[in-house]
Amino acid sequence: MKVVRFLAGLVAAVLATVGFGAAGFPTPPDFFLFPVADLARTGAPMAAMLAGLAAGLIEDLFLVPGRLLGLHSFSKVLVGYLLATLGARMVVEKPAGVGGLLAGAVVVESAILVLLLWVLRGDPIAPQPLLLLARAVITGLLGAAIHAAAGVPWRARLLARRRRRLL
Amino acid sequence: MPNPTNAVRRPEILLFVLLSACLALLSFEVRRPNGQTVGEAWLLDAGAPFVRLVTGTRSGASDLKVWSSSRGHLLAENRALKQRLVEMDGELLRLRDADRDKTRMMELFNTLPHPPAFTRSARLIALETAGPFRTALLDRGTLDGIGQGGVVVGRGGLLGRIVAASPHTARVQLLTDRTAAVGVLFLRTGRAAVARGDGAGGVAVQYVPRSAYEELALNDDIVSAGTDGVYPKDLPIGRIADLRRSGNPLLLDLPVKLAADPNRESVIFVLPAIPLGESVTNAAVAASPASQAAVPAPTPTPVPKSTPTPAPKPGARP
Repeated sequence: MKVVRFLAGLVAAVLATVGFGAAGFPTPPDFFLFPVADLARTGAPMAAMLAGLAAGLIEDLFLVPGRLLGLHSFSKVLVGYLLATLGARMVVEKPAGVGGLLAGAVVVESAILVLLLWVLRGDPIAPQPLLLLARAVITGLLGAAIHAAAGVPWRARLLARRRRRLL
Repeated sequence: MPNPTNAVRRPEILLFVLLSACLALLSFEVRRPNGQTVGEAWLLDAGAPFVRLVTGTRSGASDLKVWSSSRGHLLAENRALKQRLVEMDGELLRLRDADRDKTRMMELFNTLPHPPAFTRSARLIALETAGPFRTALLDRGTLDGIGQGGVVVGRGGLLGRIVAASPHTARVQLLTDRTAAVGVLFLRTGRAAVARGDGAGGVAVQYVPRSAYEELALNDDIVSAGTDGVYPKDLPIGRIADLRRSGNPLLLDLPVKLAADPNRESVIFVLPAIPLGESVTNAAVAASPASQAAVPAPTPTPVPKSTPTPAPKPGARP
């Protein structure tokens, strides 16, 4: 079930990334972080790392100019490990907490990417802070919203509404 | 039974493996500003000792091959030179024997060696002295085939050269003339120099550096060098009469005891003039020992070994 959910999340992330890219959105959220974070919430670091690897490779295929395979997979593996480690030690249920974690993960991932490119290229390429902040905030808000939406018992509410109509 | 430590650390191991794999993958894709990827740089650095080893081995092998080839070549050349030396020694011995036989035969038949072609004989009929100028007069001229530039030799050696010729007479500039000069060689040492007449009846070798003082000795034979374009090579000129230092602090002044004395030569021989710019080896003239070789005879007919001819008086006119 988790694997199906993860794959569905990946497909959704790909579609959303392509859609936002086609729409020319300046700071699209990190959609590939959501399925990784979803798996990491369970506190299984190995699963989270493998999910980060898969998500990162797909992100590299879609996003990085020149298709630097391994760039986002490196950062996603590390972020997945960190999130899984956190998930194993604490339970974050409130949407605000989930949003904060995701925003922090975006910032950490950006820092990892900067360090990685610095080591490999020899010169640092710092992201624009405002764009990074906006991306972190948007990702956090969207993640909180999704988490909040996932917590709502949609089926029970639908059944209750049908029951009320019949009465 | 699995090691509990490894089981606990399994996520970290996987993390390390995955991160290393990503890093290795990236290191071959991210290009540095110099156009080289990190992976390539790492590989080059790691392979540098091996490459140096291979290059050094190859270079050493090449050097060894060159050394071996050179050594083989030198050995072969050395063998060939030794063989040539043996052959030349044998040839030298044969030539010496032949020369000795020839000399003996010539002594037996009282003959002289053949002169070169167009050699003319003449009589020295007068010696003239006018200040530093020393000349002689011959009784033959252009009608007899004697022309300007001809080289005049006596029985002992070189006398001078023809400087003017009329139909029946010819004038010889003697070596003792102040303006006469001839390129010479010291026969023993091979050193080259120039001999000049001193205008007083003598000849001195000039342009010999003082550093050659030790290598020269009294009575060293002097022959013509053939480098002046006037006189043939190897004609005896004389011997060193004295070793003394001249006024020049760098050069020696070597008076020469002439091999041919014009006062004692009545019959002389005129060799053809050397064409301009040509150096001639007068082998026929200079082949035999110095005292004999300089005197070519027009024909191999027997002649008296020592012709008692009266020496003309200096300054006598024809």
